[in-house]
Amino acid sequence: MREVYVIGVGMTPFGKHPERSLRDLGREACLAALRDAGLGPAGIEGGYCGNALGPALQGETGIGQSVLWEVGVRGVPVVNVENACASGSTALHEGFKAVAGGFSDTALVVGVEKSVMPKGTMLNVGAAELEVQLGDVFPGTFALMAQQHMARYGTTREQIARVAVKNSAHGALNPYAQRRKALTLPEVLGSPMIADPLTLYSCCPNSDGAAAVVLATGERARRAGARAIRVAGSALTTGTYDARRDLTFWPSEIAAARQAYAQAGLGPGDVGVVEVHDAFTICEIVHCESLGLCAAGAGGRLIEEGATALGGRVPVNPSGGLLARGHPVGASGVAQAVEIAWQLRGQAGDRQVQGARVGLAQIMGGSQQGDARACTVHILVRD
Amino acid sequence: MAGSESVVIRSGLFRYPVPEGEQPALLACRCRGCGRIFFPAREICPDCFDAGALEETAIRGHGVVHASTVVHIPAPVGIPAPYAYGYVDMAEAPVRLFALFTGAEPAWFTPGREVELVIGPVRVDGQGREVIGFLFRPAAERRER
Repeated sequence: MREVYVIGVGMTPFGKHPERSLRDLGREACLAALRDAGLGPAGIEGGYCGNALGPALQGETGIGQSVLWEVGVRGVPVVNVENACASGSTALHEGFKAVAGGFSDTALVVGVEKSVMPKGTMLNVGAAELEVQLGDVFPGTFALMAQQHMARYGTTREQIARVAVKNSAHGALNPYAQRRKALTLPEVLGSPMIADPLTLYSCCPNSDGAAAVVLATGERARRAGARAIRVAGSALTTGTYDARRDLTFWPSEIAAARQAYAQAGLGPGDVGVVEVHDAFTICEIVHCESLGLCAAGAGGRLIEEGATALGGRVPVNPSGGLLARGHPVGASGVAQAVEIAWQLRGQAGDRQVQGARVGLAQIMGGSQQGDARACTVHILVRD
Repeated sequence: MAGSESVVIRSGLFRYPVPEGEQPALLACRCRGCGRIFFPAREICPDCFDAGALEETAIRGHGVVHASTVVHIPAPVGIPAPYAYGYVDMAEAPVRLFALFTGAEPAWFTPGREVELVIGPVRVDGQGREVIGFLFRPAAERRER
């Protein structure tokens, strides 16, 4: 395998963009990434586009080709990727494989989504699933995990809510974030109950937005100079689908973390900045445990002690995470890589993590029998 | 209110109407190789593959709530809030089922509670038809106390 580097990143602000199309948002992110990399469309040898809901919500297919043509990329392999919330990160993984495997020297990875729904309507995805037909809703799936975590480890509602308090404080510092207001613990706990114990502010918003990353070989990266960030690990796993187990973690995540750390030759103690899939507050607590930032069951105490806040031992979701930056489903996984690259280059502005050399991004998508259908872990390193 | 028409949530999951004199049952399958039970039934055992053949089996009766939550927003498919769901470990088969709860206040269905399988209306669909599915209610002896 060849070494792969991130040589350019860019994204749109996440939020409500009712007047903008998928290609419009995608173009903005791709242009920013290309300009950051110092490349034109002719320098791109492959395209990978993550989008989850375009066919269902906008009636659009082949979105990758549409977006890449907007910035002049054509004639090269373009792949559209759908892996639910992990669509963007799976596109990143596929782009990584193409460059690492010698199939192309550069790749443009983009994630784009418009998932803001008209007021009063709910995002109803996966409606064909039997569990959804029986009343399963996303917040409920994660509430079940929260209930299990509370019963097994004594994790408290306050500890879980602190994830939203922390990430909203981070989001207030991020000009790309959808929610820019720092929330208090009483505000999170006192917002309307959605699925016990998860309240409204324990859940990420629906969002519109796009993010893009340019990947390149070492040789191409050298031309980009000091800005190149090495992709030291890229793992994608699928669930094991057997609910007869401890439901306080996802086996797919344990496996993805193990693979990515092994590829990188690094461990949890090396990681200085982390972005995780905090679609719901409880998720971040579980991810901190499964990624080895603390022991199983200790995620509640980790957030309470402030270890994962900016200025703490290992800041998690300095961008504000999905909870505050927002969650344009297919774009989130790419936006995590953009944030980690900014953090490692020292370009994260008011939310800069000091001195981080190794960053990790984790995201997962879909659910079946209590496990995720897709989970990715990426490890990025500033050499 | 029950509509004049009803539809089964998905064919092949259970017999409806429940045959007279029979307990409500889910149509599952069991691998002759490893004994694992699958619901909904599937064609191939993912563990044994060619070495295991699947035979029909039924899941019925009681179980114990393993996990639960109370949802305070209506489900997009048409279940009014609040409602409760979770997972149930069945007493007579090594299987944990996704379970929509009925027949008591949503907060009643905490882990450890004994419940029993019923076949009945889950919700009303967009065309006003009653959708028949499987649910779990407090076990009979519990309800009588």
